[in-house]
Amino acid sequence: MIAFVRLAVFGFIAMTVMYVLLSIYSRSVERERLEKEWDAGDGAGGDEAARDAYIEAGMRDYERSLRRKLIWLVYVIPTLAVLLLIYLTNY
Amino acid sequence: MKYAKWTVLTLIALIVFGFFHYTLPQHDIVRVVNTYQERQDLSDWTRIFWSSPDDQSTGLINRDVQFIQAVRPNGKPMVYRNEDTGWSWPPYFKFDTANLQTEAEDLKSTGADPQWVSVTHYGWRNELFSAFPNAVAIKPVDGPDATIIPWFNIFLFVFLAFVILMLRRMWLQFRERTIDPVLEDVGEAWEDVDRRADEAADRARGGWGRIKAWLGTWRGRPRR
Repeated sequence: MIAFVRLAVFGFIAMTVMYVLLSIYSRSVERERLEKEWDAGDGAGGDEAARDAYIEAGMRDYERSLRRKLIWLVYVIPTLAVLLLIYLTNY
Repeated sequence: MKYAKWTVLTLIALIVFGFFHYTLPQHDIVRVVNTYQERQDLSDWTRIFWSSPDDQSTGLINRDVQFIQAVRPNGKPMVYRNEDTGWSWPPYFKFDTANLQTEAEDLKSTGADPQWVSVTHYGWRNELFSAFPNAVAIKPVDGPDATIIPWFNIFLFVFLAFVILMLRRMWLQFRERTIDPVLEDVGEAWEDVDRRADEAADRARGGWGRIKAWLGTWRGRPRR
């Protein structure tokens, strides 16, 4: 049982680190995309406040998006992989 | 210095290769001839070649281990241990040792009427240290030269390559968006300081420099 608890704890820590890193990365990519989209559009060179508002609105949309939620797969896939390995090895 | 660098790199490559070679599953085509069970002493450093099937096993100095004796197509012997890995390393999650022993017993055959089997295992056989690879699965195959595609290893290395590429992209993104702007700020601040120093020097040349130049006209020409 101790071995199982150890695996669960360290697995959870590893998955959490991966989750946080991926969230930061994904958010950064999205912000960069929004910035480039604005700079390429009509508002380019215009006022800074409108640009910020556009990016903030885009980021709010992102927080509700599917891609944001797909990062939870970082927890789901390894757990399913372990269950699959247990099944394949023993049955 | 060059030799030191290459020695270190070679050592790292060997350790990485050895790690994967020990841990990842391999398939041997063999003929099972017997199975046995033997008490093993586990109190010296060769403990690392045995599993920890359950929690109390880490404290035991000896216990019974099951073995599968086999013969390879070239006639040489191969002996596998058959132990649970449980929840510990390596992560095979093997709990079916008794079943596997039964299957191996069922697939026993003689040289005259061979039944070839594929034994999935990890680990190394080393006679000197009494190390045995741990059998994980056993299944009958048609003949001694049946082809087995290591799907799991292919998948694992593709996945590892994907993870490494992903980490690299994450690092590059972090550098571009977070580290570089800070460095640019520092660079700009430094240029600013530099520029102001230059201006100050120019001003000094403007006032004091002119006086010095005027004074210079009173000096005699340097003698040759």
